Parts: sequence; structure tokens; C-alpha cells
Amino acid sequence: MDLVLRTVFVFVVIVIVTRAVGRRELSSLEPIDVILLVVMGDLVQQGITQSDNSLTGTTIVIVTMAVLVVATAWLGFRFKRLRPILEGEPIVVVVDGKVLERNLHRQRMTIEELGAEARLQQIGSLAEVHYAVLESNGKVSFLTRS
Amino acid sequence: MSALFEEIAEDTSPRGVIVGHRARWALMALFALISAVALMGFFGQRLSESAAVGPAATLRLSAPNVVRGGLFFQSRVEIRASRSIEHPRVVLARGWLEQMQFNTLEPQPMSEAGRDGRVVLSYASLDAGNRLVIWTQFQVNPVNVGHRSYDVELDDGDRPIARIDRTITVLP
Repeated sequence: MDLVLRTVFVFVVIVIVTRAVGRRELSSLEPIDVILLVVMGDLVQQGITQSDNSLTGTTIVIVTMAVLVVATAWLGFRFKRLRPILEGEPIVVVVDGKVLERNLHRQRMTIEELGAEARLQQIGSLAEVHYAVLESNGKVSFLTRS
Repeated sequence: MSALFEEIAEDTSPRGVIVGHRARWALMALFALISAVALMGFFGQRLSESAAVGPAATLRLSAPNVVRGGLFFQSRVEIRASRSIEHPRVVLARGWLEQMQFNTLEPQPMSEAGRDGRVVLSYASLDAGNRLVIWTQFQVNPVNVGHRSYDVELDDGDRPIARIDRTITVLP
């Protein structure tokens, strides 16, 4: 019983932490973000299973985690109002070549980082961009004027 | 249309996808069921109470029916004497100790002995109305998988007074 309750609690904590940390950090995976994820994974294991090394315990935790992941995805799919909470919303960061700095700052993203994302998609200048959207998975989508 | 897409586009609702989708939902339902059963404590460590009332005493056992390999658990034996018991002896079945790490036994018995592969713990005499509670703590050896006898008997000397028949199941 306690294993399931601990798994649910830790899952809720993970959802809250990943939403609080922000999409940029988790998608860019700088060295410090990788360390954060590894440390989190280790602490999660300790918190959930504690001294339980049994196969039964491991199975219970894995299936409970799978159910929670699918249930969260289903809730986001079924209830539109929950989507911003569970997955976040896309944020427009460029409109007609003009950078919406306020939106960028809210996501702790610099113009240089936005420029780098543009270059990766073979865009020479932000002035060419009709719309740029920071997606909920942390990636930036560009729609050029041409 | 590109040749790479042609074959796939012909069948917009392939049977494999439908079967796969149904199988996924069936598996998720099974997973949810496993979690629900675990939440109810059927996969171990949930305490279960048993009692046996004899002419001279009531014997109670509080211990899990199911445990998981490697985990700690507690068993509590409680004796409430309704008449005086001159030589109270608690007799534990083999399953109490077979492949179990025995961590604690409190209070310590005056003496320990063996009887047909069972362990006999002898305590000081109990007057009518006296209560003796014995705490035992174990850790399950991970290879100790299966069912074992977890009987406990209260004797006065060699004369049985009360007995609880239980089994313990160890999950891997």
C-alpha cells in the first residue's frame, strides 16, 4: 500500500518540479540540467522504494508510474482546461520580426538563445520570422515570412 | 504520391494499429488493477490479526500474511491469562525462522529450546489477568520465496492451551 502512495506522491512532486523548473531548462539539457535530472532520478528511487529491493515492489512502482503517466496524458487530452497546468501552453516570442521580450524573459530565454534556435533552422535573421513560438516541449517553432 | 508513403496511405486504419491500441488499453487496465490491489495491501506487509481463546488464556498474533523478500516486518504475540499459567511457553513453527533474519525478540525468554523442529520460548509464570506481549522483528531473506507455516502455540509446560494456525507467504 505504502509503495503506491509513495509513487503517487513522488509523481505529483515531479510534475510540480518539472513545471516549476521550466520548459527551456528541461529541453536544452545543459550540463547542470543533466545533473539535476540524474540526481532527481536517484532521489526518486530512494524515496519510493526505500529499502524495498523486491521484484514485487519494483513491479508495483513501475506499473503505478505507467498508470500515472498515461492518466496525466489522458487528462490533458480530455480536459482542455487542465492542459496548461499539466503540459504548459505554447508562447509566442516573435511576431512579424519583432521579439516579444517580455514573453522571452518569463521563460528565462535570451535573444541570443532565440537567435541560436533560428540559426539551427537555417534562418539568417529574426527579421525574416513571421511567428516564432516556444512550444510546450521547449522547442521553438519558426514560421518565416517567405 | 511518394512510393514510401503509398503503401501506408492505402490503409488508413490498419488492423495492427487497432489491435495494438486495444492491447495497450488492456495492459493499462491490468496495470491499474495491480496498483489498486497493491493499494489494498495484498502484495505484502499488511498486518493481520488472529486470535485463539483457550480455557486458561487468549493468544493473539499480529503479523503480515504476505511479505516481500528483503523487507523488515514485525510479529507480535500477545497472551492474556484468564487463569494462572505456571510455565508459559510460546512454541513457534519452523516458518518463523526458516530463511528469516531474526533481528529482535523482546522480552527475552528465560530459556529457549527446540521441539520437533519448532522453537520453544519459556517465560516466567503468569497470574490470572496478566498480559504478556512479545515483539519480534525480522527481515526476509530474498531467496525465501513461497509459503511457510507460521503457527504459534501457547503451552503450560508441555500442555497446549491455545494455538493459532497461520501461514506466511513470501513474495519475490
